[in-house]
Amino acid sequence: MNYSAYSTGGQEGWSLLEKVNGSFRDPSGFMFALNGQLYRQVNEKYRQDYDLLMNSGLFDQLTKSKTLVSHKEADLALAPRAEIAYKIIQPAVVDFISYPYEWCFNQLKDAAILTLSIARRALEFDMSLKDASAYNIQFQHGRPIFIDTLSFEKYQEGLPWVAYKQFCQHFLAPLALMAHTDIRLGQLLKVYIDGIPLDLASQLLPAATRLNFGLATHIHLHAKSQQRYADKEISQDDMKGHISKSWLNGLFDNLLSTVRALKVKTIATEWTDYYQSNNYTQASFEAKRSLVKSLIEKVNPKRVWDLGGNTGEFSRAASEMGIPTVCFDIDPGAVQQNYDLVKKYKEKFMLPLLMDLTNPSPALGWHNAERDSMQARGPVDLVMALALIHHLAISNNVPLFDVADYLAELGEYLILEFVPKSDSQVKKLLASRKDIFPDYSLKGFRNAFTFRFEIISEEKVPGSERTLFLLKKK
Amino acid sequence: MNNIIIHAIIRGTAQNYLDPGSGSIIIQLIIGTVLGLGVVVRVFWGKIKGFFTRNKGESDLVLDPTTVVEDPSDNYSERSE
Repeated sequence: MNYSAYSTGGQEGWSLLEKVNGSFRDPSGFMFALNGQLYRQVNEKYRQDYDLLMNSGLFDQLTKSKTLVSHKEADLALAPRAEIAYKIIQPAVVDFISYPYEWCFNQLKDAAILTLSIARRALEFDMSLKDASAYNIQFQHGRPIFIDTLSFEKYQEGLPWVAYKQFCQHFLAPLALMAHTDIRLGQLLKVYIDGIPLDLASQLLPAATRLNFGLATHIHLHAKSQQRYADKEISQDDMKGHISKSWLNGLFDNLLSTVRALKVKTIATEWTDYYQSNNYTQASFEAKRSLVKSLIEKVNPKRVWDLGGNTGEFSRAASEMGIPTVCFDIDPGAVQQNYDLVKKYKEKFMLPLLMDLTNPSPALGWHNAERDSMQARGPVDLVMALALIHHLAISNNVPLFDVADYLAELGEYLILEFVPKSDSQVKKLLASRKDIFPDYSLKGFRNAFTFRFEIISEEKVPGSERTLFLLKKK
Repeated sequence: MNNIIIHAIIRGTAQNYLDPGSGSIIIQLIIGTVLGLGVVVRVFWGKIKGFFTRNKGESDLVLDPTTVVEDPSDNYSERSE
């Protein structure tokens, strides 16, 4: 089914190789990592479907349109479970594994559109998409891509879409809730790992959504139908012959137009107009940008994480050099603006993600190991934390020593902008509360951070009271 | 009408690794009729429109991400290793 990033913990019986979590449910095969390479075992059970996928032209169509991850076949001798193995394949690697609760509205929407488009395309090749999990989509080179090669099976005339319920729970329900109730409800995906229960979505959606044909049927009626027929059993043989291909195409088309019609208003939240409204002058902004750029060049990292990166202004200093860069921000409006830019300019190395750094994505799912925590997906060579520290140290009361500890676990190098108490942004944070932060000063910062880091360089940001540090982990 | 179908199919057990859910199947049966008809109408309408405009549903192809388009700006190398 799905896979997460490499598992780090060694598991019993997997001495040389690591089982990759999150792919254990599907009897068709599983992911594993061996000597730092990622593979997928295709089981004998999936032989016919695999051959059909490869020979029907569907695989070519989807990989040429860059909507399905490409792979090459590897040596069958690598099979961890040789007795049931049919093929070993090596899929192209995705730069960074992200999860639906870390996506902005438009990312989840594009992932939904891709899933439906693939389901519709598969049907043309006489195959059916048996899995519509949002975790089967990743973002690579600025676009969503389907990563589960084993999600296709031979279409059986007359059968309904087996992944319909899953699609509604993973995509339609969160999108509808974000669009019609509250953008923050996308976070429910963190609680419900198999998608938002439709009866819950139905309750939370405003009554007016019952007048929308798509939402009325796929969510409200669907939820009622689930309730009514909850304990009834249906056999596949009995289902045969009831739903034709044109029924299915009608279903896909209707789901597509329902999803396409869902929109969130331009979310002008806290940070989206930050650069316009704060006290940076254009010159000072440009100076900071070129300073950041020169520091990135000095480090020459393979991967960059920009923490609290807003709409990606400074992350782009890295991504424009062709370095895969993840720009995390807490504000759904900023993440969405960033993603819209990525799409508009077809940027390939920028991945905007939603992340609350005071409560980053935890490890989730079965065994707490299906979805990796944010930290487990690192460390990276370079972490950027520009104008972030006052939010962690003052708004969230984290002592500077602890901030240093945490950042040292995320990356080897750190570009950090220290914002002093005299800065208007910090003044704002302290305006309505007692200043209980006597150590929050440049001196206090150096003192705390040199426990973990060595200061390579420090420079004043021209036209501001801020200081830009380049630090290396000790 | 659907009652007959529904009662006819509520028996036995499903063989899928993903539980499609009985209620989810039934709702598909019900709305499938309406939506399938919609596709027939749309295809038919598209043909009429196409006859006059010679533009065979091109906009739909552009919207479909699984359509293979040659994009010269796309000439980056796959980072597969």
